[in-house]
Amino acid sequence: MEILHQIKYKPARVAGGYTDRILRVELGSREISIEKLAPDFKDKYTGGRGYALKAIWDGTTGDTRYDSPGNILVMASGPLGNEPGFPGTGKFIVGTISPMTETFIDSNVGGHFGPLLKLAGFDALAVTGISKEEVIILIDGDAHTITIAAAPQYDKETDDGALSYGERLLKDINNGEYSDCLAAVSAGKGALHSLYGVIHSLYYDIRRHRIRAKQAGRGGTGTVMRAKGLKSIVVRSSLPKANGNNPVDKKGVRAAGRAMKQVISKADPTQLHLSAWGTTILSEYMDKFHIFPVDNYQYGQSPDSVKLFAHVFLDNYFSKRIPDGCYYGCNLACAKGAEKVALTRGPAAGRQVSIDGPEYETVGAVACMGIFDPQYVMEYNWYCDQYGIDVISTGVTIAFFMECLERGFLGADDIGYELKFGSIAAADRCLHEIAGGRGFGKVVGRGVARGKKWVAKKYAARNKATEDKVMAELDKFGMEVKGLEFSMYVTKESLAQQGGYGFALKGPQHDEAWLIFIDQVYQELPTLEDKAAALKWFPLIRTWFNATGLCKLHWIDVRNPEAAATDEPSKNLPTLAHYVDYLNATTGNHKSLQDILDDSERLYILQKLINLRQGKGTRSSDQIPLRAMAPAFFNEYQSRAEYYDLWLGQNGGAKKLPASPKQRHKMLIERRKRDYQQLCDAVYEQKGFTPEGMPRRETVAKFGLLDEEARRLLDETGA
Amino acid sequence: MQRTLTGADSIEMPITKKTSVDDALEYIRKNHPQLELDEGMVLVTVNQKIAPRDQVLKADDIISFLPFISGG
Repeated sequence: MEILHQIKYKPARVAGGYTDRILRVELGSREISIEKLAPDFKDKYTGGRGYALKAIWDGTTGDTRYDSPGNILVMASGPLGNEPGFPGTGKFIVGTISPMTETFIDSNVGGHFGPLLKLAGFDALAVTGISKEEVIILIDGDAHTITIAAAPQYDKETDDGALSYGERLLKDINNGEYSDCLAAVSAGKGALHSLYGVIHSLYYDIRRHRIRAKQAGRGGTGTVMRAKGLKSIVVRSSLPKANGNNPVDKKGVRAAGRAMKQVISKADPTQLHLSAWGTTILSEYMDKFHIFPVDNYQYGQSPDSVKLFAHVFLDNYFSKRIPDGCYYGCNLACAKGAEKVALTRGPAAGRQVSIDGPEYETVGAVACMGIFDPQYVMEYNWYCDQYGIDVISTGVTIAFFMECLERGFLGADDIGYELKFGSIAAADRCLHEIAGGRGFGKVVGRGVARGKKWVAKKYAARNKATEDKVMAELDKFGMEVKGLEFSMYVTKESLAQQGGYGFALKGPQHDEAWLIFIDQVYQELPTLEDKAAALKWFPLIRTWFNATGLCKLHWIDVRNPEAAATDEPSKNLPTLAHYVDYLNATTGNHKSLQDILDDSERLYILQKLINLRQGKGTRSSDQIPLRAMAPAFFNEYQSRAEYYDLWLGQNGGAKKLPASPKQRHKMLIERRKRDYQQLCDAVYEQKGFTPEGMPRRETVAKFGLLDEEARRLLDETGA
Repeated sequence: MQRTLTGADSIEMPITKKTSVDDALEYIRKNHPQLELDEGMVLVTVNQKIAPRDQVLKADDIISFLPFISGG
């Protein structure tokens, strides 16, 4: 391996969950430095997403774009990451300026990289600059070295693949053997050719005896990594993982962990049973309640959906009876996988591969393209992973173009083939074109927001229409907000979740708020005020999970039986109490749940400020496509006319419904649009924002964020 | 999971004019003890709407026992 630059260092000891060190690597000048953080830094920014936000706020400007040398790629765990005694502590976040949204994106991902980075002496890694040649970074906590090296070259197939390259590197660096003392992140050729490249978190699974992959999937983090000329980062530490955080109160950590594991082992098997089914279990429930995003979210269910329900994957693909946690100590163990799956399509046809997944989102993305073939779900999963592209953005963007063809905005000549809903051959061709930067894949690889502009220009020129008029039509069904594609849930019948997507600072990804069932099914948010309060509370607590190195599923998808007796069961407060205990035992703090929410609100407001600086922080950026709030076209209305008419009768405000179905459809759209604007007003008030969706000066000041840059920004925007 | 445990897509049960959601729960517990339908663990809906335990059932009503889903 050709070493380009190397430093020796003494790894800082983890104490109370922190090392108080950030590793900074500048790839352009090949400088490596270690920043020692002030004692109060962690009090203000917590960790994980908080550290990434602070780095981006201080280190970038409104002109920074994803491929600017000044863009920063941050990877950070958090004070509660790396504790096998507590379930779900392998998470870290990847944060940066996104190629999709051109503002801050972060994506949380499991595996061993975050814990090992901390054991190697760092709370966070921040990479800047652009290398002229392709490089890798090695952080070796055992050898006490940090190295920038020329990226090793193997054969083309290995080098192109995000999975294959990382796997090979992890073996090479460790004298030809895999070890759970090493982990890597990697990005593949799909990240070079599309804007939605992912970063894989690769770790050695001692049960399956192979390298497994989890993804920082949203917003093009892998595209940023490859734009920096960075192919992979490997971290090594042989320090013991147990008690690796050196908590202040070991007994307290053990007690909190024991209590959480008991909740999981008692409740999960009688609820979603994620430990057996993984997240594929969600497909059936989403379909049942018209939330499954069939044919680009036109319909919420299909008679064919049953072909993609969990039992199909469990019976035919998943390895059974293997505890599949993505980090030690997790007894929810939802990271399901399959071995020896024979590929039937694409350049690797005929090969047998191991597949990590599918997750619900992958299943939903395939249904979004109108495809209900489980074998194709598996192959789509593997190819997206190997190419290193986001399963969600890939599926939603292909589905958008499928609908453009269906509605006559494009012809087959524009695309080069019949990209139709339900056509596996066409979807598969498009997938490989995206990853290779070939043919129509060059257009699809830029996502829905840019795709809409491309279609509008083409259609307007051909039909002598204005581009604005065409865009207005495309905006109805182009499923993106702020430049990011929706994740896989139909929101038409949940006003709260419309806000969950619309107000999400990173764009419509559900890890900020997922309120569909609470709103639509459980009916726990009957008033606008209830919805607005939930749209403040849930993003704050979810932000905390992303700042501390924790997985959310144990809290949010396993209902503690004791929650039933509380005033707000959906908040699952009895479980959150265990998290508060775990935090305090680790760090030695004496925080309450409200303290935690306040800490998170500081991070939330900081992220909002970054959005404002990047031009994505006002009311106009929170607007959602018509299809997210109503049946955008008449065929969607017709598919559930009886339901919609009933809804109008109960909520429409008119004494008598119009006689014509088309008029009722129009009335429904008007009502839904009005509801969403009323929700905007209520939510902004709740969050301390102006009616234009900008944070009020006093809100920023309340959290100690009114620095010189914030003052300038608020002056400029008139907030 | 319920399908796997019972081997059936759905279970039909006889009702009277007074059969309630609670009675249906009792019927399921008696005939399918392998299904754990404890209070606080599942949510009961009738025709896809949350139902109180004393709600009286009509012919062709569909009762579902749902896990709590809060979206990952």
